[in-house]
Amino acid sequence: MPEEVKPGSVAAVTMTGVNKWFGDFHVLKEIDLSVADGEKVVICGPSGSGKSTLIRCICKLEDHQKGSINVLGTELNDDIANIDEIRREVGMVFQQFNLFPHMTVLENCTLALTLVRKKSRREAESIAMGFLEKVRIPEQSDKYPGELSGGQQQRVAIARSLCMNPEILLFDEPTSALDPEMISEVLDVMVSLAEEGMTMICVTHEMGFARRVADRVIFMDQGEIVEQNDPVTFFDHPGNERTKLFLSQILQH
Amino acid sequence: MHSAPSYSAPPREPLSNRLKSLFFNSPLDALVTLVCLFVFSYLIYSIVDWAFLSSVWRAEDEATCRETDGACWSVIDARHRIIFFGLFPYEEHWRSTVACVVMILTMIASCVSWFWTTVRLGVLWIAGFGLFYILMHGGIFGLSVITPERWGGLALTIFIFAAVSIIGMPLSVLLALGRRSKLPVIARLIGLLIDFVRSLPLLTILFTAAVITPFLLPGWLLGDKLYRVIAGFALFFACYQAENIRAGLQSIPSGQDEAGLTLGLNYWQRVSRIQLPQAFRNSLPAIVNQFVITFKETSIVTIVGFFEILASGAAAYGTGVWTVHYIEVYVFIGLIYFIFVFSLSRYGAHLEKKLRVGHA
Ligand SMILES: Nc1ncnc2c1ncn2[C@@H]1O[C@H](COP(=O)(O)OP(=O)(O)O)[C@@H](O)[C@H]1O
Ligand SMILES: [Mg+2]
Repeated sequence: MPEEVKPGSVAAVTMTGVNKWFGDFHVLKEIDLSVADGEKVVICGPSGSGKSTLIRCICKLEDHQKGSINVLGTELNDDIANIDEIRREVGMVFQQFNLFPHMTVLENCTLALTLVRKKSRREAESIAMGFLEKVRIPEQSDKYPGELSGGQQQRVAIARSLCMNPEILLFDEPTSALDPEMISEVLDVMVSLAEEGMTMICVTHEMGFARRVADRVIFMDQGEIVEQNDPVTFFDHPGNERTKLFLSQILQH
Repeated sequence: MHSAPSYSAPPREPLSNRLKSLFFNSPLDALVTLVCLFVFSYLIYSIVDWAFLSSVWRAEDEATCRETDGACWSVIDARHRIIFFGLFPYEEHWRSTVACVVMILTMIASCVSWFWTTVRLGVLWIAGFGLFYILMHGGIFGLSVITPERWGGLALTIFIFAAVSIIGMPLSVLLALGRRSKLPVIARLIGLLIDFVRSLPLLTILFTAAVITPFLLPGWLLGDKLYRVIAGFALFFACYQAENIRAGLQSIPSGQDEAGLTLGLNYWQRVSRIQLPQAFRNSLPAIVNQFVITFKETSIVTIVGFFEILASGAAAYGTGVWTVHYIEVYVFIGLIYFIFVFSLSRYGAHLEKKLRVGHA
């Protein structure tokens, strides 16, 4: 964990007036968002509201066209060196896991350690096994992703991100592709990460998780941040009509 | 997923019953079965009789060939050196034999996964081709010089195939990546090159390389005709193979590259560790097929004046008493082709099985 940064004193991510278009389609509108170091933010909102696009901008999987994004004190611009530096410090967990199917679980985890962090193979394997233990799946290290259940795959994907020792972890609907009985094993891992002080930005509709760990819940609709608040206020006293409608829809089932 | 079945499978019917229901279900079925059986046995018997029972094997016995309607393998016994070595000087045939073995061993070793790192493959190929060249060309270690016009037969076929594969494969990867480049200029130009080359017959390309380039290129750039032909052949191979690889790349979900990006891998790391391994696996059947086609297409170099194995075969039966025995020569050469091509496709099948590990 970062010793040089005092918790709460530095913004991990600052977005100011960020706008993005896909062709003519205005997908992000004047986004202002600041996430402090160690903060856990949950983003929710209807499908197509731009949640994925927003967090993909933070690790530069998408370019924004207007405004500025500052991650860990570095401005995201078109400078390639900057981008690689940022990506090493920002981990991302995808809805579809995106594990490398031709590598074993262990190889998935050690790949970037050896290539990017330049660790020796033995060192990389011991680091990777440490994180696989943390996500409670060390016994599967020699299997291929295709041999694991969805929940196991997602836990491996989290371990793979953790191996890079990221300052910030982004989650894009990590449990949406999972069968119901596997959701909690993934959420448990995320909760324990949160308790250790990881800076997390999670797009999720798991409201129990949001109540339990989020410092702040953000509601997005049609490319805008409509409302943000601490979880208790957000869920019990939503201020905006659109938020109320959305919450009533997802809480029905 | 693999839980033990709690009920045992129903017992299989005895073989005799199953055969009966398959082939003798009705009188008509029985008739068809019997007729087919008869025709099939007759064909098999004729072939075995021709090739083995009534055949003549030794060169000295050529005279008896005329008294039997079996195969006259004497022609192979007498003329196999021409088939294997073409115009290579007689007393140096051992060099061509060793060179062939070296090249075949190099190709077999390339198929072993232990060699699949850039360094190991590089060392293997430089050693393999170096040794081949020294043996065939000579000029050092007291070996007399034999220029490529006199290379021929199996050694030439194998050399052309190996050289085309080894130059063409890396080139095809570069072309496939180039065609997918984010820079439109590069993508367009490479796309144009690939489509242009693929729209030409191989013959045209080899002819251009052999006959026309001498008018266009300065002498010092020209190299031997054999190398120009191999270069043209490799370009042709690479343009087809690039499209196979591109199809494999195309079918990788975009999330794979994104996962690599977020882990901080650079372009070449993502290409070599994430994209290419999956692309090769995805289009392995097409890639192996291209090798098979290329092996068989090597025979086309005869047109520009090289004595590869098929042309050497024609020379083998082309003189004196042997002219009537061309069928035996072609059967023999067909057998050699079969050994190579069949091994290639078996290896492809083996790879497919191996790479499928862990995939649903
Ligand atoms: N690469 C793209 N090209 C064009 N439109 C896109 C692209 N990616 C996303 N979109 C559109 O942008 C909108 C927001 O997408 P997204 O950020 O994925 O929403 P969410 O994650 O909130 O469901 C959607 O309407 C989607 O169709
Ligand atoms: Mg989304």
